[in-house]
Amino acid sequence: MAAYLTRRIFKGLLTIFASVTITFFILRLMPADPVALVVDPKMGLEAQAAMKAKFGLDKPILEQYAIFIGNLIQGDMGVSFKTRQPVMAVIQEKMPWTLLLLIIVVTLSLLVGIPVGVRAAKRPNKGFDRFVSLLTMFSISIFIPFLSFAFLYLLAYYLKLLPTGGAYTPPPADGLTYYKDVARHAVLPSLVLFINNVATIILYTRNSMQDVLKEDYIRTAYSKGWNEKYVTRVHGLKNALIPTITVTGLMISSLIGGAVMTETVFAWPGVGRLIYDSVSALDYPVLQGAFLILSATVVVTSILSDLIIAWLDPRIRLG
Amino acid sequence: MIESRTFREAFFRNRLAVLGLIGVVLIALTGILAPILREYPSGYGSELYNQPSAKYPLGSDSMGLDIFAEVIWGSRSSFYISLMAVAVASLIGIPAGLISGYYKGWIGEVIDGTVDIFLTLPTLPLMIIIAAVMGPSITNVAIVIGLLAWPSLARITRNATLKISEMQFIEAARSLGINSKAILFKHIFLNIAGPVLVNLTLVMATAVLAESGLSFLGLGDPTTWSWGTILKKAWDAGAIIDTPNPWWWWLSPSLFITLYVVCFNMLGTGINDTLNPKNRED
Repeated sequence: MAAYLTRRIFKGLLTIFASVTITFFILRLMPADPVALVVDPKMGLEAQAAMKAKFGLDKPILEQYAIFIGNLIQGDMGVSFKTRQPVMAVIQEKMPWTLLLLIIVVTLSLLVGIPVGVRAAKRPNKGFDRFVSLLTMFSISIFIPFLSFAFLYLLAYYLKLLPTGGAYTPPPADGLTYYKDVARHAVLPSLVLFINNVATIILYTRNSMQDVLKEDYIRTAYSKGWNEKYVTRVHGLKNALIPTITVTGLMISSLIGGAVMTETVFAWPGVGRLIYDSVSALDYPVLQGAFLILSATVVVTSILSDLIIAWLDPRIRLG
Repeated sequence: MIESRTFREAFFRNRLAVLGLIGVVLIALTGILAPILREYPSGYGSELYNQPSAKYPLGSDSMGLDIFAEVIWGSRSSFYISLMAVAVASLIGIPAGLISGYYKGWIGEVIDGTVDIFLTLPTLPLMIIIAAVMGPSITNVAIVIGLLAWPSLARITRNATLKISEMQFIEAARSLGINSKAILFKHIFLNIAGPVLVNLTLVMATAVLAESGLSFLGLGDPTTWSWGTILKKAWDAGAIIDTPNPWWWWLSPSLFITLYVVCFNMLGTGINDTLNPKNRED
């Protein structure tokens, strides 16, 4: 277990290091003037000179890279072109909103996706299974802004049931009213991401459950006299869940991609919307910081999902 | 290798696959024939926000342009971008997968580790950064999408290669003294063409989703019509929640994106089912 954990964490650190390196070299090796990518052209000349010295922009690229990594380790990701705030502070303000959205969506997807997948696996190629695979095909193929537009049009514009955007009605209320208000605002963005992601959970649960139900130990369990419910729940599900949890870990990375678009449409004040705003302002330091924080989120969730698998599967835990 | 005749027969008996193929061919034809079908929409028209009618089959937008023409020219960009992205992804992904699957050892480990890292990174934000730096052009967008689509292709290629290279006919080829390059690119490649083809159709589908996403976020080519660009214009003009509410403006490009992706997914699933006789229904 210790060796497994160390290997996993090492791989995670390697991934974060790779994403740091990729963004650094993408931003520096492009034909554009590197100074323009780090230093805001609207700053005063003195401030510009100070920034250049701090990031070592007059030095060779490898030295710049070392300085950049050094600053990063101290939590310094530069200053936003747009707001002049430190990038770290900007992201700290936005990240909880994105995490809230991700947690709602992942929880809902697992709560709905696993039972549906199990039920579809019990009678393969029959009515329910067919219906589910058709539905999942569409929900995987759908373009997220389209789904968002459709919900906005129906529920917010036409029926006027839900707010059209934002995370709360300004100014923020106090206590319980505030939480209720945030919940109302979270319905549409979470619904869109949920529909797009639950399909993956359903598909993986269904396929692995189908395989597991063919195993010898399932027949053994039946012949011991257990009923179907007990066999699928205890003997089947525990084994079938392993691929589902792996894919949940992997799903986060596409979920984040979806969050960028959902947050943009619904003006949800998270990191995704921050990326959209930074693109139009060509705010490179913020873009870079946002990407790094999202990569770190992906790495942490994938380590978490591997830990859960190790806990579920003694072959990994003890091996 | 599956005999091509049985493959064709099984493929055309698969309703899903045939439907997907028809859809794909129709969209490709629309894209190729765009200049004949409709004039390139540009400038300003006189009739703003027209409901779908005989003159404007899909309505007109805030500039008075024909949305039908925009959608047709959009399918041209979509098809072009998918093809470019698939080409870039194949050029990197297939050799990488073949090499890492055949010559295991350290080179295989390095390639596979790189693939692993790229598969974990959140793709869309990375695409956004690269596209923002490279500047908006339809070819740049396609290259970016291809550059980030190769890892999944490499993984599929590697897994298939690992399986095939254990087989006896490869051992036979090796003992005949055929050099490993010829074994790799002829004997093995022909035999993994199936799963690779399935993955290519998926890359075609995701490429359009990625392009539409980038265009929607304002990173597309503002001078070329694509489905994402139309949606961005509709969104910027407040067509979804403001009054007047030209629903036709965002509905048709959205439906075309969905149609395109569904068709490619159906085609991929169809080929996959045909290749695995185990899953055939009869």
